[in-house]
Amino acid sequence: MTKAVVKLSHIYKQYGDNHALRDVSFDLQPGEFVALVGMSGGGKSTLLRLIAQLEQPTAGTIEYADANLVTRVMFQDGRLLPWMTTLNNVSFAAHDAKVQARAKKTLTAVGLAGFEETYPTELSGGQKQRLALARALMADPELLLLDEPLGALDALTRRNMQSFITKICDASHLTTLLITHDVDEAARMANRVIVVKNGRAVFETPGAKGESPERVARVADEVLKVILAPDDQAKEGERLG
Amino acid sequence: MDQTSESSAGKPRSFHVNWHNLLPWLIPVILILIWQLAATAGWVNSKLLPSPLAVVQDGVRLWQTGELPKNISISLYRATTGFVIGGLAGFVLGLANGLSKISWLLFDSTIQMLRNIPHLSLIPLVIILLGIGETAKISLVTIGVMFPIYINTFHGISSVDPNLIEMGKSYGLTKRQLFTKIIFPGALPTILVGVRYALGVMWTTLIVAETISSNSGIGYMASNAQEFMDMETVLLCIVIYALLGKVSDLIAKALEDLCLDWQTKGGAAND
Ligand SMILES: Nc1ncnc2c1ncn2[C@@H]1O[C@H](COP(=O)(O)OP(=O)(O)OP(=O)(O)O)[C@@H](O)[C@H]1O
Ligand SMILES: [Mg+2]
Repeated sequence: MTKAVVKLSHIYKQYGDNHALRDVSFDLQPGEFVALVGMSGGGKSTLLRLIAQLEQPTAGTIEYADANLVTRVMFQDGRLLPWMTTLNNVSFAAHDAKVQARAKKTLTAVGLAGFEETYPTELSGGQKQRLALARALMADPELLLLDEPLGALDALTRRNMQSFITKICDASHLTTLLITHDVDEAARMANRVIVVKNGRAVFETPGAKGESPERVARVADEVLKVILAPDDQAKEGERLG
Repeated sequence: MDQTSESSAGKPRSFHVNWHNLLPWLIPVILILIWQLAATAGWVNSKLLPSPLAVVQDGVRLWQTGELPKNISISLYRATTGFVIGGLAGFVLGLANGLSKISWLLFDSTIQMLRNIPHLSLIPLVIILLGIGETAKISLVTIGVMFPIYINTFHGISSVDPNLIEMGKSYGLTKRQLFTKIIFPGALPTILVGVRYALGVMWTTLIVAETISSNSGIGYMASNAQEFMDMETVLLCIVIYALLGKVSDLIAKALEDLCLDWQTKGGAAND
């Protein structure tokens, strides 16, 4: 086994009396696409924030393959800068011609060519998310953390974006962590699916990335059962799996 | 509204726009017409309330003697000098306190204490200390302008969405970039509200200061005219205040349009 890009060991995170995460351990292998699924409030975003070093765990360790690992987060709430045009949101208004050219290329890649001078308020929900994705891809990250990137999209655009993200991640051999509550999406896109429930990683199964629709449906089904199962059964499932 | 524009889509559009542009002027024009009518018809004593025309003629006369341009320019000089000094001081303090906890701890409670003193109540003090020269009036404007700019700069900076700042940090922006690309543009709408308010404070302060202690400026012209029961000039001064106030408001508005054009784009609410 190669060295993990990120390795979480026995992570706990507490907000006051609220135990957001309890004893979570997993790792991300180079080029791997991992999906975190689970119900709202389960602790998925918290995990992502810890990996992105936006917060510190209460206990446990997170090891990185490289101290200067380029990590980019695509936030659940977009976080676009309303005072900047689409192009400037991607380039952070850098005057550098090379950065500008690269920003244009990235916008084209996410299908936002022609929207360079548009402000975020003028974009549709899906366009905003594609803009946020373009911004995350700008720095050529080694680790991409996506927090419900496709939440606001209609089913068709969603499918397009799914294959689009898969393509980009494969092409640049990106290590990716995707948070979603769509089990189909998780099964279809990921090499590995992890279920987070009440602050614990309760279940892990290989995903069905690049496999037949039947296989995707089966994995999705299996994951959904774990998510919906009462707590103790979920633990049972982990032991069996 | 929606219905009418639907059914009359097409040619009446230009009429709509013109009509909307003219409407704000309707009430002032009617008021002036009534005033003129009342004066010419002799409904009011023209000594107490001269007609608009008489006021305009008085303005033309004073312009030709050079008295009006001289007083307007001295007032403008005091106003802008005070505004620039006070605005800069308030802005710098607001920046410092918004960005640095230590600076905030050091300055804020003192500023809040001083801010609650009505600055016009300082007039006697300023006159005793600085006499009735330029420094006295400029300092009063400076003090009056400083606080609204300070408060709004500070408030603007400290209320920038922390999520955007977090995003900037995690996207590797330097401290300087964080300021120029996120904090400052995020604070700008609030700062400009302060600028607009401070422009109003600037005029009131100056007028009061000039009325009480001065031998030049619009405020002086008014109080001088009052001594001679020269109603035309008194009214002329009031009209000039109104115009100057309107002009500074237009400048503030233009500044907002220039700096905040992103706010008017798209469907999101702007207010
Ligand atoms: N900054 C915070 N302060 C206090 N509690 C927090 C904070 N952030 C998260 N929590 C709590 O931690 C728990 C997990 O939240 P988290 O945002 O990780 O959930 P999630 O799985 O991402 O949910 P969703 O699918 O709705 O985004 C929740 O109970 C939440 O209230
Ligand atoms: Mg979340």
